[in-house]
Amino acid sequence: MAIDSLFFTIVNRGKANSVLHKAQECGAEGGTILLGEGTVQSKLLNKIGLTEIHKEIVIIPVSDQLSDKLHDELSKAFLFHKSNKGIAFTIPFRRWKPGLPGQNETADSSTRENASYFCIVTIVDKGRSRDCIKSARAAGARGGTLIHGRGAGIPTDFYYPLVIEPQKDIILIITAKDKVYPIREKIYTDLELGKAGNGILFTFPVTRASGLFEQRTEDSKGGAS
Amino acid sequence: MSLLFEKTKEVLRTLLPVVIIVLLLCFTIVDVEADVLARFIVSSVMLLIGLAIFLWGVDLSMNPIGEYMSQEIATSKTPVKIAILSFLLGFLVTVAEPDLLILGTQIQSASGGSLGATVIVYMVSVGVGVMIMFGVFRLLGDKPSYSAFMAITYGIILILSFLVSEEFLAISFDASGATTGALTTPFVLAISLGLSKVKGGKNEEENSFGLVGIMSAGPILSVMLMSIISGQKNIQGQAAEYIIAEGVFGPIIRKIPEIFVESLIALLPIIVLFFIYNYVKFKIPKDDIIRIINGLVMTLIGLTIFLTGVYSGFMDMGMIIGIELGKMNPWILVGIGFILGLIVVLVEPAVHVLGEQIEEVTSGYIPISLIRGTLSIGVGIAIALSMVRIAVPEVKLWYFLLPGFLIAVLLSFRSDPVFVGIAYDAGGVASGPMTATFVLAFAQGAATIIDTADVMVDGFGVIAMVATAPVFSLMILGTIFRHKKIEYPVVAKQAVVSSHLVDEISLDHVCIMVIVNRGLAERVVFLARHSGAKGATIMRGRGTTADRQVLPIINIELQPEKEIVWFITPTDVYETIAQSLMDDTLLNQDGEIKIFISPTEAMVRTFTTINPNNYEQPGNQ
Repeated sequence: MAIDSLFFTIVNRGKANSVLHKAQECGAEGGTILLGEGTVQSKLLNKIGLTEIHKEIVIIPVSDQLSDKLHDELSKAFLFHKSNKGIAFTIPFRRWKPGLPGQNETADSSTRENASYFCIVTIVDKGRSRDCIKSARAAGARGGTLIHGRGAGIPTDFYYPLVIEPQKDIILIITAKDKVYPIREKIYTDLELGKAGNGILFTFPVTRASGLFEQRTEDSKGGAS
Repeated sequence: MSLLFEKTKEVLRTLLPVVIIVLLLCFTIVDVEADVLARFIVSSVMLLIGLAIFLWGVDLSMNPIGEYMSQEIATSKTPVKIAILSFLLGFLVTVAEPDLLILGTQIQSASGGSLGATVIVYMVSVGVGVMIMFGVFRLLGDKPSYSAFMAITYGIILILSFLVSEEFLAISFDASGATTGALTTPFVLAISLGLSKVKGGKNEEENSFGLVGIMSAGPILSVMLMSIISGQKNIQGQAAEYIIAEGVFGPIIRKIPEIFVESLIALLPIIVLFFIYNYVKFKIPKDDIIRIINGLVMTLIGLTIFLTGVYSGFMDMGMIIGIELGKMNPWILVGIGFILGLIVVLVEPAVHVLGEQIEEVTSGYIPISLIRGTLSIGVGIAIALSMVRIAVPEVKLWYFLLPGFLIAVLLSFRSDPVFVGIAYDAGGVASGPMTATFVLAFAQGAATIIDTADVMVDGFGVIAMVATAPVFSLMILGTIFRHKKIEYPVVAKQAVVSSHLVDEISLDHVCIMVIVNRGLAERVVFLARHSGAKGATIMRGRGTTADRQVLPIINIELQPEKEIVWFITPTDVYETIAQSLMDDTLLNQDGEIKIFISPTEAMVRTFTTINPNNYEQPGNQ
């Protein structure tokens, strides 16, 4: 099976195992589960600090056919069309095999033009994720998913020769194509990503998405490539 | 699902069995006054609300405070500062613990005044401070190993235990239970987690646990030493007569102000220390401070509601059940004791906090239900054995304590390293407010009815048992669970200096996503850096493949822990990086490495400050 995409699912915590089982029934080989946090859009809840929802992110390597099958099957089984049940999206990611240099290069630039959704990934120091989501909202994003990670270590001169591994927040934001540019610019300027060490931001084209809020209103499926 | 709702549901799930069992007993074999029963039900509701709010508050306040403080400790430039700060933290959280003062007063009256309550409180706090200090040094230096450290500590306790009387053996273990209260345990857990996060490295997971275990040895040592130095051996006197309150709401309302003040006093030293540091050093952004303050208020309110429920409803109920069952066949007492132990421990606040931490640290790799189940069985057996001890006076406390700890220490060298810390922590975590009130009252009730039992000695022993049994049971689980650990072989340093030290702004980049088995991310970063990668971001996860590993009998799936590494690299070097990672035999065989690449539009300004030649090889540490 040629692996040419990664299928991402974001669901409430505790459901990842059943998502993975279902995916394996559909023919997926396996997957990786990450713990993350979702955001709540409510001023009141924000005020009292109730802003975290525990989420799990499942990443499954898929082929194009399997990706479509998973979108259909999982949306049905886990009710992605209802709000707050979860979302799924596919990002073209080629499985690296030695001796196959750059063959997808041209195909990828066309996916980028055809994609109607994009995934914006921002990596910043721990604690700045809220600022990031605030800026993204201001520019029209609906919310984001947060994963805690760490940067690669830098040796330091403390009493113990610790390799300090700066803690990082990784924020995934899925958004429609027309909003990508403003959101990206807004985050970039607000969080001063232009200064070295402040964080990085990058985007991926999404070939297909299910369960996004925008879709519920328009009732159109994500741009199939 | 919002966090508060989630927490309420979780607390409800653990509280419900306790309420059901108690009500069943009340309607069948135990005769209870209507007002006590009504008060118990009201208290249960208070427990539910209080605990949910408390846990939520702890999440918002204690965890960040612990994280900031531990960061401050770890980034000290002199050992003196580490020593002072860690001692201070241990001392301050203990000295204000209300349970400790109660214990001190009890010892004072029992010893005929020769050991003053204040002296006891200060000595125990110093004991905790010193142990936390040692624990922090051990954690940061990674030497000696945790198992060896605890073996030495309990070796000293073992030697001292031959020099003190049985009463003081029980009291010293009880002092340990009293210090690991509802507030101290979550805070020390957060410190431990914070320190290991800052430290990182391959032992990060193991180091996230174990500080509570180290801390609980402090009071045992101090009380034993005090007993030896003062020559105090026997305890005279009686426990104060227990009066069961009347009325439904009266006792609850009367209790609230007292408990509120106690909780506030217990919380105050940490808050003051934190805000002084914040003012001088941290200068945390306003939004975050507001969150922390909100969290502290929640913690205080939750704790007050929770403790009021426990003291006014559950304690009386425990006493009555103990008295009534004591009149019957002793084996009923043992059986009911087992069941109560099994379910009551899950309502302990610290058990919830520990469970959450295990989930976070291991990314769900260690199933929490497995930990909880083992903990329950341990505590169930502990209470059952305590009841045996009450019914049969010939059975002494040390029959269980000493072999229990001896086997636990031996097992700790064979057990999965993550479990060793969790197991020692579990002792302190299990002996929280529920044990100190409901279970203790139950045991004391039974002891007052059975003539041969001594309310004082047998009562004290219960908490010691509850603190020992989970260490033992979790250590056994850890021995079963032990999994293959990946060792780093040392590879020769390659001196490929990155050619991309220039400042560049370009949208076209390639994202490389690498998935490897846990522990190998450092190696991935190391190799990639030598092939021209600069930064990397590492995330934790768990994975499954087509052939799933499922534990027999309990049917829990084992998912190997994975690390996910993201690199954003210029388009011209990604092939070199991917190729060098694929070529590495270790990553291929033990790491089950998978590499995915995708072109990406990155708004990144790439500077490099690290010269790869200075970068230390992981595995040499």
